[in-house]
Amino acid sequence: MRRLTFRLGLVLLGLAFAVALTTLVWTPWPVEDMSGGRLAGPSWAHWAGTDRLGRDSLSQVMIGARIALMVGLGATLVGGLIGTVAGVLAGFAQRGLDDALAAALDILIAFPTLLLAMLVVAASETASLGTAILAIGLAMSAIIARLVRVVSKRVLAQDYVTAARCCGAGWLRIVLTHVLPNIAPTLLVALALQFGLAVIAEASLSYLGLGAPPPNASWGQLLQQAQATVYTAPLGVLVPGGALVLLVLAINFVADGLRDLLDDSAEVRE
Amino acid sequence: MSHETLAPPAMRTLFGIGLLALTLSVAPSALLAETDPAAVLRIGSLYEPQNLDNTAGAGQGINEAFNDNVYEALFRLTDAGTVEPVLAASHEVSEDGLTHTFTLKDGVTFHSGDPLTAADVKYSIERVVAEASKSSRKRSLANIAGIETPDDKTVVVTLTSKSISLPYNLSYVWVVNDAAGDITAKEDGTGPYRLEDWARGTALSLTTFDGYWGEKPANGGAVFSYFSEAAALNNALLTDAVDIITSVQSPDALSMFADTSAFTIAEGKSTTKQLLAWNDRVAPFDNVKVRKALARAVDDKKLLEAIWGDRGTLIGSFVPPTDPWYVDLTGVDPYDPESAKALLAEAGLADGFTFTLDTPNYDPHPITAEFVKAELAKIGVTVNINIITPNEWYEKIYQKHDFQATLQEHVNHRDIVFYGNPDFYWGYNNPEVTKLIEEAEASDTEAQQTEKLTEANRIIAEDAASNWFFLYPQIVVSTVKVTGYPVNGLNAQFFLRGIQKAS
Repeated sequence: MRRLTFRLGLVLLGLAFAVALTTLVWTPWPVEDMSGGRLAGPSWAHWAGTDRLGRDSLSQVMIGARIALMVGLGATLVGGLIGTVAGVLAGFAQRGLDDALAAALDILIAFPTLLLAMLVVAASETASLGTAILAIGLAMSAIIARLVRVVSKRVLAQDYVTAARCCGAGWLRIVLTHVLPNIAPTLLVALALQFGLAVIAEASLSYLGLGAPPPNASWGQLLQQAQATVYTAPLGVLVPGGALVLLVLAINFVADGLRDLLDDSAEVRE
Repeated sequence: MSHETLAPPAMRTLFGIGLLALTLSVAPSALLAETDPAAVLRIGSLYEPQNLDNTAGAGQGINEAFNDNVYEALFRLTDAGTVEPVLAASHEVSEDGLTHTFTLKDGVTFHSGDPLTAADVKYSIERVVAEASKSSRKRSLANIAGIETPDDKTVVVTLTSKSISLPYNLSYVWVVNDAAGDITAKEDGTGPYRLEDWARGTALSLTTFDGYWGEKPANGGAVFSYFSEAAALNNALLTDAVDIITSVQSPDALSMFADTSAFTIAEGKSTTKQLLAWNDRVAPFDNVKVRKALARAVDDKKLLEAIWGDRGTLIGSFVPPTDPWYVDLTGVDPYDPESAKALLAEAGLADGFTFTLDTPNYDPHPITAEFVKAELAKIGVTVNINIITPNEWYEKIYQKHDFQATLQEHVNHRDIVFYGNPDFYWGYNNPEVTKLIEEAEASDTEAQQTEKLTEANRIIAEDAASNWFFLYPQIVVSTVKVTGYPVNGLNAQFFLRGIQKAS
C-alpha cells in the first residue's frame, strides 16, 4: 500500500512539474485572451470553462501549478537553509544560550505559519512572488530549526563524536562529517512535508491578496475570484481547488514514502 | 471598504416640491389584496450596526434600520432622491440666505411620551456637529454659526455662508429627545417604529409605535436578522427564514431566486460608483490627453458585464442618475482604442508608459485590475498591479496621496463635491469646477444649483478627471409575499413603513 501511494505521489508530482514547465512555453490560450465569453461551461475550446472576464480557466490553473511549485520549492529552500543553520548552531550551544534559542524557536512556532508569513508580507512594501517565498520560508525555518536542534543534539551526544572531538576535530568538521549526514534523512522527510504545507500557505496568502500579484494566476487567487460565482460556475472553484488538493496529496505521499525509505527511526516508531 | 468621508452637497428644497412617493413600489402582485397589516417583516442584512447611535461610528447598518423608521429628521431623502419635509411644518430663508427658520409639526411625541420641542432639534443638530461626533456628515454642517429656539415650535439656524444643501444635510440629523442621554444601546425617536429588542450579533427588532403622529405603517413591525456571510444570507431567503434581502452583492447569487412565482428581484439604482482614480497631481496623469486616452482604452461595457452580468449602469461621470444634476455623459470618452493611441501620441507617449495600480484586495477590484491591465496593454501601457488591504488604502492613498492610480468604489449620493476639493486624494484641481461647486452651494434656487452642478459634472467628464467604470445595481430580493419596499436604498436607507406583506 505504502509503495503504491509513493508511486502515485511521484507520478502526480512529476505531472505537476511537467505542466508547470510546459506553461513556460505554451498554454492552451494566452492568459490575457478574453474572447471566451463570461463564465462559459466546459467545451472543446475551453476544457475547464472560462472566468468572468472570458479567460480560459485551464490555462490559468496550469500557470497556477507553476506558481505553486515555484513558491513551494523556493520557500522550502529558504526555510531549509535558515532552519538547518540555526538548528545546528542551537545544537552546539550550551546551557543558557541553548535555552534562550529553544525558547525563541518555541515562541516563533507558537505563531501560526500563515500569520507569520502575513507579518512578513505586511512589512515589505509590495506583495510579490519573492515576498511570498521569503515569508513562507521564514515561517517554516523555525519549525525546521527546532527539529534540527533536537536531532543534532542527539548526534552530538554519540560516543564517536566525543571520540572525534578528542582527536582534535573542529566544529565545522564535526558538522560536515557527522551531524549533517546523520540528520539528512530526518531533515529530508521534514522538508518534504513542509513543501506541502508551503503550497497550501501560498494558496492561502494569495487568497487573501498577499501572494503573487495578478496576473500571476495563483490557485488561491483563482479561488478567491471564483468565490463570487460559486453557484453559477462551480467549476471555477472546483478546478483550482482540486488541483491544489491533488498536488498537496502527492507531496504528502512522496514525503511518507521517503520516510519509509530513509528514516530508520520511522520503523521503530511504527 | 466603501468610501464615505465628505458629505455630499445638496439641493435647496423649498416646500413647493410636491410630495413624491416615499418608496418606488415593486410590481404589485396579485397577492396584494390579502395584505396583513399586523405582519412582522423579516429582513436579512449583512450590515449589523456596531451600536445604535449614528454619531458614534455605528456603521451603515444603523441607517438601514433606523433612518425614518425609528428616528425622523426635519427632512427626508426619498428613495427617488428628492428631499421632502418630515418634522418641519415650514421652512423660511432670510433675504441674505444666512438665516433659516424652521417651524415644527404639532402633535409629535417621542417614544418615551415627551412632546417634540425646538430644544430637542437644537440638541440633535449639536449632537452631530459635536467634537466627539464621528458622523461622516459633520463637515457639511460645519457652517452652522448658531441655533436659536425663540419658542417651543421654532428653530432658527444661522449660517456663516449660504447653503442650499441645508435641508438635504438635515435629513441625516436624527431628531432625538434631549432627555435621552446615551443612545448607543437604546433609542428615543419620533418614528413610526420603536426598538423592541436588540440581540447583539443576531437581530434587531422593531415594533410599531402607537402614539405615532403620522399615518400608521402598512405592517406590524420588522426584525432585521444579521448575517456575516452573503451565502448564508441567500440561503436564509431560500429557506424562508427571511422575507427580504436588503442588498445582493453578486449577480450570480440571483440564479437561486430565478423562480418568479416565489421570489421578486428588484433592481434599483444605487449610488455606488466603481472608478479608477488617477493621481491627477503626478505625471503623466496631470495631462488631460493621457487621462482621456486611458478612459477610451477600457471597454466599460465589457467590464460591467463581467462583474454584474446584464445588470448595473454605465456612467460617463461621477454622478448617478438619482442626483438631480445627472446627465448622460457616456458619450464623452467612449470605448475607442484607436483614438486612445492617437491621444497618447499627441501627449508625447506614443511608446506608452508604465504605472502601478493600487488595488484593494476584495472583489471586484482584483479582477477589474486584471481587466484594465489587459485593456491598456493593447495601447502599449503597462500596468503593475499592487494588491493592498483596506487599511493600507486608507493610509497610503487617502491620507498620504502616495500613489499613481487606484481602484475604489464610492457609495455616497450627491458626492460630486469631492471634485471641488483639490486636497482630495485624487488631487483633481480645476479652479473652474471648484468655483462652480462653491457657487452651487450658495445658490438661491434649486434650478440654479442644478445648473451649476450639471456644468461641473460636464467639465469633470470632459477632463476625464477619473475613469468612471459603472454604477453598481442595487438589488433587493424578496419573497413574492412582500411588496412596497424601497429599491434604490440611497445612503443605505431602508424605509419600512410602506412595505406590505400578504397573509
